[in-house]
Amino acid sequence: MNDTVEIEVKRLGFYYSGGTHALKEISLPAYKNNVIALIGPSGCGKTTLLRCFNRMHDLYPGNRYEGEIIFKDRDILSKDIDLIDLRSRIGMVFQKPTPFPMSIFDNIAYGLKLRGVKTRTELSEHVEQALRHAALWDEVKDKLHSSAYALSGGQQQRLVIARALAVKPEVLLFDEPTSALDPISTAKIEELAVNLKREITIIIVTHNMQQAARISDWTGFLMLGELIEFDRTDKIFTNPSQKLTEDYITGRFG
Amino acid sequence: MTRERKRKIESFIALSLSTLAALFGLFWLVFILGDVLIEGIEALSPALFLNDPVPPGVAGGGLRNAFVGQLMITFFATLIGVPVGVLGGTFLAEYARGSKVARVISVLSDIMVSVPSIVIGTFIYAILVKPVGHFSGWAGSAALAIIMIPVVLRTTEDMLSLVPWTLREAAFALGAPYYKVIIQVVYRGAAAGILTGILLSIARVAGETAPLLFTSFNNSYFSTNMNEPIASLTVSIFQYAMGPYDSWHAQAWAASLMITVFILMLTILGRVIIRWRYGKR
Repeated sequence: MNDTVEIEVKRLGFYYSGGTHALKEISLPAYKNNVIALIGPSGCGKTTLLRCFNRMHDLYPGNRYEGEIIFKDRDILSKDIDLIDLRSRIGMVFQKPTPFPMSIFDNIAYGLKLRGVKTRTELSEHVEQALRHAALWDEVKDKLHSSAYALSGGQQQRLVIARALAVKPEVLLFDEPTSALDPISTAKIEELAVNLKREITIIIVTHNMQQAARISDWTGFLMLGELIEFDRTDKIFTNPSQKLTEDYITGRFG
Repeated sequence: MTRERKRKIESFIALSLSTLAALFGLFWLVFILGDVLIEGIEALSPALFLNDPVPPGVAGGGLRNAFVGQLMITFFATLIGVPVGVLGGTFLAEYARGSKVARVISVLSDIMVSVPSIVIGTFIYAILVKPVGHFSGWAGSAALAIIMIPVVLRTTEDMLSLVPWTLREAAFALGAPYYKVIIQVVYRGAAAGILTGILLSIARVAGETAPLLFTSFNNSYFSTNMNEPIASLTVSIFQYAMGPYDSWHAQAWAASLMITVFILMLTILGRVIIRWRYGKR
């Protein structure tokens, strides 16, 4: 297991524009080529934390960060970070599948075109690669130019993962990626996540504790905006050091 | 038993009244459309489309000037009104989403939609006809454009608001700047709805007479000069229907039929697009 730190969160605080103090003094390391799961009851701040990594909160005026998130020796929360570059290195997959209203091919090519890839052959090559990567190629290779909406929910989610992979990110953020999917599609996505960590680092928010236990190497447990515990997943699920963590994972609340 | 009976009687009365109301409305609609159809078809002839008006009493007059004028006025109105409406709707739904300015403009547009069109005609008369000193095609297009703008603006705003916010976030998460997100993702998602709104707004202005009376006026001669008064079907119908000659009345019927068919086609096209885009699945 790799113990190079890919992203280091240092005393991160976050305030929503309304003034809500959503994250308090969060510090954790995200190790390279690992799957890091963030768990906790609803409203604990796990999605808020996830959305700090690609500065999604910047879309809404008035939100404010504190502390630092170090990625490649730079604080990605600093003002002079190029968000377009950041978001191509740290991709994101959302809860509900978000295919764009265009063909399967154009969906995957979208991020590539943003980055200036223009020639048809180069695009085709990258699109095929990304779809193979997301284990979707065999299912869609004959209908690349039909609408992405024609795919099933699970396929759409893998399409969205392929779209994120196409621009070769170093980190992929998953925001409850399987909560809208059936068990079989969920299993495929989980398998995919485990395979992908050979090349990238994955941070996943999940409501499903079994999912965290199945696929992650590290788990962070959040409550009311605070990181209660962060440790190796097997430790968290077998022998947590905090009483709160134990109560949560054994289902006593949450 | 009595209670159930009472309910059945009430239900029967309500059903009968609403059916009667619907039949009453439909009767007049069918009556009007049927009349236009019968009288119009009788008066239709190639000369109507190919010839310009001739003095009363001379045979073979047509309304070629009015067909061409109507198309030109409507075309330029669309050219002015659609970009303003679409961009304005984009501003409201995207850049000013949820702000006070957006709400105020939305409400004002809704009011604008129901402003009598003759008011808009007199307004354009005051700013584009009076200062220039004569009626013009441009003034007519401007008046129709002003009627179109709030319709297009509100449909665009509504259609863009229907595009899920997560779709925009997904595009942002790939590193797209906002204008690209709007043009490449949001517009695509809302294209069918916006297009339908545009078609319906064209249908809405194609039948307007009042705003043209004060702006493009009319012209008995064939003209494509938008700086001069220009003929339109609706104003021609108005004049011919008011005139004393049977040949004028016949042409007014034929022109009414053509304009009704045109608007009907636009409306049907709009519905086909909606069904094609949203009906599946």
